[in-house]
This record gives sequence, structure tokens and C-alpha cells, in this order.
Amino acid sequence: MNELTKQLTLREIKSRYKQSFLGYAWVIFNPLAQMLIMSFVFSVILRISSLGVPYPLFLFSALLPWNLFSNSLAHSVNALVENAPLIKKIYFPREIFIQATIMAKIIDFLLASLIFIVFAIFYKTIITWHILWIIPIFFIQQLFTYGLALGLAAINLFYRDIQYLLGLILVLWMYVTPVIYPMEMVPDTYKFVFMLNPMAVIVNAYRQVILGGSSPNITSLGIALLVSILVYIAGRSIFKKLEGLFADVV
Amino acid sequence: MSSSSIPIIQFDNVSKKYFKQGQKTFKELLHGIFFRNESVGQFIWALKNITLSINKGDIIGIIGPNGSGKSTFLKVIAGVTQPTVGKYVVNGSIAPLIELGAGFHPELTGRENIYLNSAIMGIAKNKIENKVEDIIKYSELRKFIDSPIKYYSSGMYLRLAFSVAINVDADIILIDEILAVGDERFQEKCFKKLNNLKKEGKTIIFVSHNIHQVKDFCERVIYLKNGKIALDDITTKVVRKYSRDMEAKL
Repeated sequence: MNELTKQLTLREIKSRYKQSFLGYAWVIFNPLAQMLIMSFVFSVILRISSLGVPYPLFLFSALLPWNLFSNSLAHSVNALVENAPLIKKIYFPREIFIQATIMAKIIDFLLASLIFIVFAIFYKTIITWHILWIIPIFFIQQLFTYGLALGLAAINLFYRDIQYLLGLILVLWMYVTPVIYPMEMVPDTYKFVFMLNPMAVIVNAYRQVILGGSSPNITSLGIALLVSILVYIAGRSIFKKLEGLFADVV
Repeated sequence: MSSSSIPIIQFDNVSKKYFKQGQKTFKELLHGIFFRNESVGQFIWALKNITLSINKGDIIGIIGPNGSGKSTFLKVIAGVTQPTVGKYVVNGSIAPLIELGAGFHPELTGRENIYLNSAIMGIAKNKIENKVEDIIKYSELRKFIDSPIKYYSSGMYLRLAFSVAINVDADIILIDEILAVGDERFQEKCFKKLNNLKKEGKTIIFVSHNIHQVKDFCERVIYLKNGKIALDDITTKVVRKYSRDMEAKL
């Protein structure tokens, strides 16, 4: 990581919770509160099956990567607009803004993952070597996120509707991703929707390798990788094509 | 402009067109499709057929009324925006002292902002460490350096920003209307520093509305009017013409 990416990531992190009493601890409190409330609603009231795994763990194994994805996109889409003064004055590769935004979200994600570890110990969860699969799964997720973020952030400079539209899409997207319910509950007729949704495959794969103690569905993961590569290529070329105009429209 | 000097910046018939009305929302886009007559063809030439060459060590003043293309000219040199037509070459590193503190974040401390802004200016990490002390000393803000800069007065803010920018080691220094603020003593200090840079053989391009500053500091002045070069000559000649034009307008 170069110095500028590092400094911009630090800016993102340091500036966020300044002048708040709990400071950076919000990064942990937020998902913790979210998990407790959702666990109560979906496991105690709605009694969604969690395949024999304690529901808080079941939920959190998917909610953490989903939040990473969703927060990364929601912030990246504005990253160029927010840095308008810099874009107008100094030249350096513009994708650094997107990289720094996502990097800051990854650090949030890693910190929030500590809660998962605490819960896993509490529930005496058996973790197998299959957990190492999270490394390639994480890589695919980041490739998908980064590609999408590049494209959306660039287009948002020209049409600010993107940022509002994205907020709506992310809410809907979470419901077609097995975060609060298991993939097994989805009727076969609709399963194809999930196959085409890389986030569904990714989230399901995390759960499989962490809680299921087995390897993920390689075919699905392969398709997700392929889609992610295509999204990355498309996002990057949109970004590069429009980059020369950023200073004029921002 | 001795013939033995090497051109560090060369413009060959450079023009830059801006669209007056950028479409920012889908609504305006749809409007643009259905009512084609509007918002089409509304553009202005911010720069028109600019041909010039600047040699290493030149101290150039840029003057002209508002909207004459001064800032666009600097933006093209800085590589922030691309000319619509024409070719240009810039042979050297650039330190843009344009709109000071463009990369500052109000929630971060003075010291944190020094690191951030140095990275934005492209200074290598090991060099930043060496320069931080110089920058703090030069800014005369040691007492406040670890407070968030949102508590700084605008004069302090400017001093910090200028101190970071001026300690950058670049071949070409772009200055856009930055010396208009700050108290007299600090302004004097800035000019002393600029004179040192001049002696070191740096190329300085200086945009200002303050004719006295331009007269004192620059050897050659380019007078821009409606995006065109009205006159490019030694300082006294250009300033005389500019003053005459301004008086005629009054």
C-alpha cells in the first residue's frame, strides 16, 4: 500500500468518530447492537431455522461480510464527490480515494469480527481447517466490491442519483442474500436468483466454511469469481474512461 | 528567456472547452433527451489557442480579469484537467499551491494534516519524517500543532497549509491567489521563501490579482483575456497594458 493510500485511510478512520464519547468503539457497538436486535426478532419471534447453529452466530457470520460490502459501496459512491477540492487541484490516480475508503471499511470489519470470536468461544463452536477458505472467499468479495465501487463512484459524479438509488438497492439486495435466513429455506424455483447473486454465494460460503465445517460449493464460488472479474473489468474501464473528466464535473 | 534554456513547459495550440450545464440528475438527462433544443451547445472556451513555452527557472506571472482562464491554465499544467484540443508537455514534478489546504481535514490535528497533505503532494514517506519539524517550525504553530485544525483561525490555517506546500521539493511551483490572506508579516515571509526558491532555480508560475506582487516578483507576465493570450512579454510592458485596460473598463 502506498503512502497516500495509507494516509487517506487513516484520515477516514481518525476523523470518523472524533468528538464522540465512545470514539472508535462505535465500530464494535454498532454491529453488536444490530446483531442482538436482529437475533431477537428473527430467532425468538419469527423463529427462522438456523440449521442447528446458535442464531446469533449464524446471523453474524453473514452479517459481518454483508456490512463490509454494503458500507464499502455506500461510502465509495460518495468518495469522489467528497474529495472534490483535491480532485480539482492535484493530480494523482483517483482510484486511491476508493481504495482508501474500502480499506477503512476492512479495518472496521476486522474489529467487528472480534465480537464473532467472542461469541464463537462462548458457544464452544468447533472450528475446522476449512476456515482457511475465508481467504479466497474474502478475496472474491473484495474484487467484486472494488469493481462495483469504481464504476458507481465514477458514474455518481455525473448523475448524483446513483447515491440515492444505491441506498435503496442495498436494502433490497440484503433481502435476496441469505443473511438472516439460510439458503436452504429458499424454494427451488427461486434458487437461480441466488446463484447469479455473487453476494449470496459469498455469504453462504463464509457460513459453510466457518460454521458448517466443510468446503464451500466450488461451482458456485467459481461462478461468483467469474462474475467478480467481469464486474472488476467493467468498473475499472468505466472509471478510467471517465477519469479525465472528473475535475470538470465534480 | 535565453535561448540556451530548456523548456520545462510547452503548450502548442491548447484549447479547453467547458460545458456550461453539466447534467447532474437523471431528471435533467431525461429532459435533455426529450427537449433536445435546450442545454445543447451551451459551452464556453476557457482557453483558446494557447501557445507558449516556459523555461526552467522562469518566474511567470499570470494576470487577467475573472473568468479569463487563469485557473484553467494552471489546472492543465497540474494535469488535473485535459485540454479539449492541442498538445502540451510538462517536464518536471509539480507542487500546486492552489487553494491551500485542499486536502486538510478539520477533525484532524495540525500534525496529522501535515502527514496527510505531504502524502497528497507525493512526498516519499522517509522524506516526510525529516520535513515535519521544518514545517512546524516554519508555520510558527508548534503550540497548536496537536489540536484539531477546526479550532484554528483562518490565518493559522493558511500558515499551516502554506508551510506544507512550500516545503515540497518540486521543479515547478504553481501559485494561485494564495497570498491574498494572512497577515503582512507572514506574507513577507512567504515571499522571502519564494525568492529562495527562485534562487534555487525553481520554475514558479504565479497567478494574482495583486499587480504590485506580480511587479515585484515576476520577470515575465502572461495576460489572459477571454481564454486567449492578450500579451506575453516582460513584466513592465504587460502590467502597463493591463492597467490601461482595467482603467478603460472603469
